[in-house]
Amino acid sequence: MDYKGDIHYIEQVVAGKSNAFSYIVDRHKDKAYNLAFRICGNREEAEEIAQDSFLKAYGSLGGFKMKSSFATWLYRIVYNTAISHVRIKKKGVLSLEDFPADATDFIGNNTSEEEAENEYKSSLINFAMQKITEEERGLISFYYYEEMNTEEISDVTGISKSNIKVKLFRARQKMLEIIEKVEKKKLIYHE
Amino acid sequence: MNSQKKNQEDLLRQYINPERIEKAPEGFTSKVMTRIQIETVPLKAAGRLRNISFVPVISVSVTILLILAAVIIPGSKTGSSVFPAADLIKNIKVYLPEIDLTSIFRFNLPALIMYLFIGILLLTIFDRALNMLFHRGK
Repeated sequence: MDYKGDIHYIEQVVAGKSNAFSYIVDRHKDKAYNLAFRICGNREEAEEIAQDSFLKAYGSLGGFKMKSSFATWLYRIVYNTAISHVRIKKKGVLSLEDFPADATDFIGNNTSEEEAENEYKSSLINFAMQKITEEERGLISFYYYEEMNTEEISDVTGISKSNIKVKLFRARQKMLEIIEKVEKKKLIYHE
Repeated sequence: MNSQKKNQEDLLRQYINPERIEKAPEGFTSKVMTRIQIETVPLKAAGRLRNISFVPVISVSVTILLILAAVIIPGSKTGSSVFPAADLIKNIKVYLPEIDLTSIFRFNLPALIMYLFIGILLLTIFDRALNMLFHRGK
């Protein structure tokens, strides 16, 4: 079925046809889930956060003023829900030992070496993301995964553009330091 | 700083693949819709509209009534102005009440406590009444 645009379905939901909300969920679920996952780093929690965010969005749909796009508004809800969720459930600090030293650890039954390398990189990024703050994770996710510019990120997070640049710079620096350490560990492992 | 930033960006992009996004699990949409039905999430629009419009409507009506009263109420016979409102404003005399503090010190302690208690009780009732009036929906 063709998607008729967020506004069309929002109007239907506000008019009382709550089932129209399923089209909105279907369209935005992957991005909402991905953002939640990048911030909390856990699939079960990410699902819970994304579901809660959609419920919040549904409850506040009447107050959606259409000043920004629905996606931006939803991102704001997911971002805030995920940040508060992570702050409540602060986890222990991961150590470098928690990360496998070799890409071969990611080779399954039917995976090629290239797929294993990609899996390794992805896991390494997820690992590095867990070493930065939840706010920085959100910013990295917006910038690299959603490919949003600083102005769009500022719209969602309410952080000033210059502050976003500074925070992104610091987050990148921290992540690269962790990646470097893991890669060094990998080299030692192979020697 | 800029070249360092660029270098950092390039390095990190080697590891981050934006196309590799984590997809929502199977049945996500139906789970959300079920939760909406079970938890019967209310749409906030109607309630909010009532709360938002209630206070300004009262204040605007009172302001309009006061302005109308000032214009409509006829001025005193001695007034020279064409506008009765101007005369009305001119004739306003402010009298400040004289407060006799000595009467307070005439009370003994039990009497003062009783007066204080009655005062607090009245204020509480007034506060509850206002609270019920303005937070009815919550």
